[in-house]
Amino acid sequence: MKLNIEGLLVYFPYDYIYPEQYSYMLELKRTLDAKGHGVLEMPSGTGKTISLLSLIVAYQKAYPLEVTKLIYCSRTVPEIEKVVEELRKLMEFYTKETGEKNNFLALALSSRKNLCIHPEVSSLRFGKEVDGKCHSLTASYIRAQHHSNPSQPVCRFYEEFDAVGRQVPIPSGIYNLDDLKDFGRKKGWCPYYLARYSILHANIVVYSYHYLLDPKIADLVSKELAKKSVVVFDEAHNIDNVCIDSMSVNITRRTLDRCQTNVDTLQNTIQRIKETDAAKLREEYRRLVEGLKEANVARETDIYLSNPVLPDEVLQEAIPGSIRTAEHFVGFLKRFLEYLKARLRIHHVVQESSPQFLKDIYEKVCIDRKPLRFCAERLRSLLRTLEIADIADFSPITLISHFATLVSTYSKGFTIIIEPFEDKTPTIANPVLHFSCMDPSIAIKPVFERFQSVVITSGTLSPLDIYPRILDFRPVTMASFTMTLARTCLCPLIVGRGNDQVAMSSKFETREDFAVIRNYGNLLLEMSAIVPDGIVAFFTSYVYMENIVASWYEQGILENIQRNKLIFIETPDAAETSMALEKYQEACENGRGAILLSVARGKVSEGIDFVHHFGRAVIMFGVPYVYTQSRILKARLEYLRDQFQIRENDFLTFDAMRHAAQCVGRAIRGKTDYGLMIFADKRYARADKRGKLPRWIQEHISDGSLNLTIDETVQLSKHFLRQMAQPFRREDQLGLSLLTLEQLQSEEMLEKISQIAQQA
Amino acid sequence: MAALSEEVLLVVKRVRQRKQDGTLYLMTERIAWGPEGKDRFTVSHLYADIRCQKISPDGKSKIQLQLVLHTGESTTFHFANESTALKDRDAAKDLLQQLLPKFKKKANKQLEEKNKMLQEDPVLFQLYKDLVVSQVISAEEFWASRLKLSSVEHSLSNNSKQEVGISAAFLADIRPQTDGCNGLKYNLTSDIIESIFKTYPAVKQKYAENVPHNLTEKEFWTRFFQSHYFHRDRINTGQQDIFSECAKQDEKGLKSMVVQGVKNPMVDLLSLEDKTLDEGYGSLTVGPNSSKTVKENSNSAIIKRFNHHSAMVLAAGLRKVILVYWKFNKFYPELNLLFMNRDAPSDQASETSSTDGNSRDSDFFQPPIKKVKLQEAIEYEDLQNGSGPKTIALNLKKSDRYSHGPVPLQSHHYSTSQDIINSVSCIQEEISCYKPCLTRVMPSSAASSAITALSPGGLLMQAGTQQAVSQLVPTDVQSELKHLYTAAGELLRHFWSCFPVNTPFLEEKVVKMRSNLERFQSTKLRPFQEKIQREYLSTNLTSHLDEMIQAAYNKFHAWQTRRMARKT
Repeated sequence: MKLNIEGLLVYFPYDYIYPEQYSYMLELKRTLDAKGHGVLEMPSGTGKTISLLSLIVAYQKAYPLEVTKLIYCSRTVPEIEKVVEELRKLMEFYTKETGEKNNFLALALSSRKNLCIHPEVSSLRFGKEVDGKCHSLTASYIRAQHHSNPSQPVCRFYEEFDAVGRQVPIPSGIYNLDDLKDFGRKKGWCPYYLARYSILHANIVVYSYHYLLDPKIADLVSKELAKKSVVVFDEAHNIDNVCIDSMSVNITRRTLDRCQTNVDTLQNTIQRIKETDAAKLREEYRRLVEGLKEANVARETDIYLSNPVLPDEVLQEAIPGSIRTAEHFVGFLKRFLEYLKARLRIHHVVQESSPQFLKDIYEKVCIDRKPLRFCAERLRSLLRTLEIADIADFSPITLISHFATLVSTYSKGFTIIIEPFEDKTPTIANPVLHFSCMDPSIAIKPVFERFQSVVITSGTLSPLDIYPRILDFRPVTMASFTMTLARTCLCPLIVGRGNDQVAMSSKFETREDFAVIRNYGNLLLEMSAIVPDGIVAFFTSYVYMENIVASWYEQGILENIQRNKLIFIETPDAAETSMALEKYQEACENGRGAILLSVARGKVSEGIDFVHHFGRAVIMFGVPYVYTQSRILKARLEYLRDQFQIRENDFLTFDAMRHAAQCVGRAIRGKTDYGLMIFADKRYARADKRGKLPRWIQEHISDGSLNLTIDETVQLSKHFLRQMAQPFRREDQLGLSLLTLEQLQSEEMLEKISQIAQQA
Repeated sequence: MAALSEEVLLVVKRVRQRKQDGTLYLMTERIAWGPEGKDRFTVSHLYADIRCQKISPDGKSKIQLQLVLHTGESTTFHFANESTALKDRDAAKDLLQQLLPKFKKKANKQLEEKNKMLQEDPVLFQLYKDLVVSQVISAEEFWASRLKLSSVEHSLSNNSKQEVGISAAFLADIRPQTDGCNGLKYNLTSDIIESIFKTYPAVKQKYAENVPHNLTEKEFWTRFFQSHYFHRDRINTGQQDIFSECAKQDEKGLKSMVVQGVKNPMVDLLSLEDKTLDEGYGSLTVGPNSSKTVKENSNSAIIKRFNHHSAMVLAAGLRKVILVYWKFNKFYPELNLLFMNRDAPSDQASETSSTDGNSRDSDFFQPPIKKVKLQEAIEYEDLQNGSGPKTIALNLKKSDRYSHGPVPLQSHHYSTSQDIINSVSCIQEEISCYKPCLTRVMPSSAASSAITALSPGGLLMQAGTQQAVSQLVPTDVQSELKHLYTAAGELLRHFWSCFPVNTPFLEEKVVKMRSNLERFQSTKLRPFQEKIQREYLSTNLTSHLDEMIQAAYNKFHAWQTRRMARKT
């Protein structure tokens, strides 16, 4: 259908529309009009992605000079591919309606592992190996060597792309990862470099967060993207952690040992080159003296990992004299390494700030701040000069150099914690140096500053106002949308007690209590008898799940559950869990029914949807608080309190509730779907917890569904499931939660729609 | 009366049946009961008729034994001898336990199946009456091809009884009970044993290896329950345990399953993340946790075992299905349906290995599934207007063969698609330059007469006015004709299925079939023809039947002359 969104003609590739989609598009348009940033929360399964795409594409078509590019960031590879497929649907609709050929170029970009078509390289299993092998075939000096010595292997796909691929832009169309590969195979071009090159003139780019938020990668990939772009972060409820992770470094003793080997290799290589080809080193020295910027000369394939700090922090001056020659630099690295080793030899926990660390290093080994800042840059130059093929081997020394650069660049927002042993095992020495970022706004700041509109959206962003605070930006629109429902297809229940009236809680004091564990087991057992097909249960942590499973096994609860359903359990091993997941789906598919025991904050809870019969009930055992005893977390909480005036408890509860909402939200993926959401902890009944759940869940929690016993829960669930199992037709939805174009245009409906969005 | 040849294996006195005291006899082939003081049996069941026996629970005051027959009836015996009732009952039960399985196999399963088929299918029943009851062909001949056919058909259309899966909790059903003197008693039934074997093939193998050469059955199961294998939280330590190998095999199986990876890319957690942070970056420290306690180890062992157990239970249920698919593939190799790619690993394995061992070629199989899954994931069924019925894509290996069908080799030259395209374009060209030659057209009178001749009721359209057979022929004749058609069809099917005649058996059969056909013609067709003649109905009702039979005769004749020629 064609919609009129405040004067903008929007093509929407479906015959019907949800009211909230319309409302969402209105808010989005206002954000774009204002050229500002927005925070939008809309329940999962209400067609967020297609609404976003429809509106922004329409905007781009209507005002090609205002918005030149859409950068769509999602979290996982399947998500990225889904977005591109939805986009394809939209574009097909455009072609059908307007009759003209689509002149849009949209493509997905992913790592080499997902795009490589070189037969040998792509058969490697891990992303790091693929990257390393690719580098060893495409680095400029390798290619130069190939020139003089044809037996030196190079990648024929890259050669072909380099020779002709850049002259003619890729024909317009929608390219998913597989399409890029097919296109690459057809032309004999490298799809990865083709995609990286093509994002510069593409209308729509879909890739993962890291390409924009991780400065090491963003500098390589996203540096030249136009300012007049709209950036969308989908599934953004965890964006602060992505930001923090990209700028934090951990150093263990093992890292340092491997570094030592790296440094030795470097030294030997320098020695060798000095004897054979001293001119090369002299050339490098000359270049450094002149202060030529590395980026200007380096080819795209040479840069393995870029500078870890943000572009505006990278110094625009020549590398200081003390580390200009290769030997001096290696000596410098050695000293730095020895210093770190000495620091790790302590027997008590140390926490200090960056300036303290710098002061200490200056006093102990006379290392200045300035050369440290250039460490990453200088190492990169050296590795390139030495023509080291297998760069993956040098990741420890790269890590150290990044640490050096980061610690000397940022004086605020970071903390250094050195722990000589793990808390659980104080007798076993395992020293770790955590250099952790505490301020997510550091990494995302350039994104907000550079692009005209940044939209942060997800199914669970409550409470909305906390995101602008921790990410430090001023949004022009903040809205939370509810799900209009013709039937209440979600049923959140808060179970607070067992049938024996013992309170259920994963609270630290009672979590090992037998009564609690038994009650949790009884809850699962009872539910397994009444819920059809799949049940997903989430625990607060992996260790807790292990303990509970063990005691359930001892008490024979698991065996009783097995009478009703098969049991699958998430393990720390991703491959094993994938298999369990697939078997779980198989068991749901063939009618046997299954239970998946999983962990909040785990991979399953973050990336896997349980549509329809794959998840008829989600049980959240306990409140998934983060492990609060960790020093890093404590430091971060302190920082949040001091800098953003966010109280520790508020943040912890917010963090726990967003993960709980994420977990239970996995089950509802649309209006035809239905599912139980069982919060098995009495603390959920409290207003401060309940209030932090997304509005679309909160509004279905009635006072009657607080602090239930297991029996009551079973009764309510039975009732709910029986109701939901009735046939659900389009006519039931039409006019309420599903609209035709005529219905949408009626005054009354527009009035109603305006109430869907709740401004924060 | 007990026949002389029957050997009485067990006699139990004071057994009540319907409140009457009497004596129970267990003989070699049947179980019988006679009331006291009389010299005949009022109850007598062949063992083959008995489906199972049931006994009253231990605590009950009445000590009873119930026999359930295949027909669904049951007979209950009450052991009334106070002092030895329990012993008597157990003796009878044990003996029956040994005897019944021997006869079970003998029970004519096929007969049952045939009966069922006839009951379920009225057409078949009519056919049976027409052909077998009227002695046109023998019963064996009738069933010979039927049963084979039906078994395939049934398994494909899932009409047959579904294989019962395995209860996930079968191990839990073995409730250990204390026997009062510091020991444990496990109850094993044949069902549970079968479940164990199906789920854990390794145990079955061990069983085959060790029982009865090394261990008695009882010892085997005792060891099984003692082993760490059964107790999932115990960690494998002992080497002398015969089941430690099973555990290792399981481990291997689990590993191979994991290495195989998952076929659905949407649940593959390994490829979920696009760009993982390099080692050493990030705020979470998930370092190698070398310092695991024994307790934790055993916990993770339980988790692993549960995953494995569930997977095996699932697989045991699926094995059967895969077999059917595989069979189906064998029957219709061209129709390699898409969904089967997913479920039949054997198929896919052969496929990948055949392509010069390049493992990446499995890539070419992946996209379809991935595409389908992606499309599924982005679909909003309620936003769309009636999406058409879901179709299954045909994945043809040789589309040529599919579209042209199996063509006999000696058949005349057929046009290739290129020829057809050529001729179509040829015709198009001719039409494009066709110019009506107005001087040489038909006179209008001839044209109008041609039109009248071709209009309904006209000279050439006589047939069009004919009434349909259904209006001309009375219904009873119609139904008779229908039966004749099915019967003739069945016979002809038998006849034609003999060709090409390449075995002596087939030769014999084809000759027999011809005589069957003749008999059919004389006993069934002729009387029918006479009947419709008497009723003055048009005789061409049966002309098609005659033609079909004649064609068969011709074929037979040709075959015979050729055979004669070859023989001489």
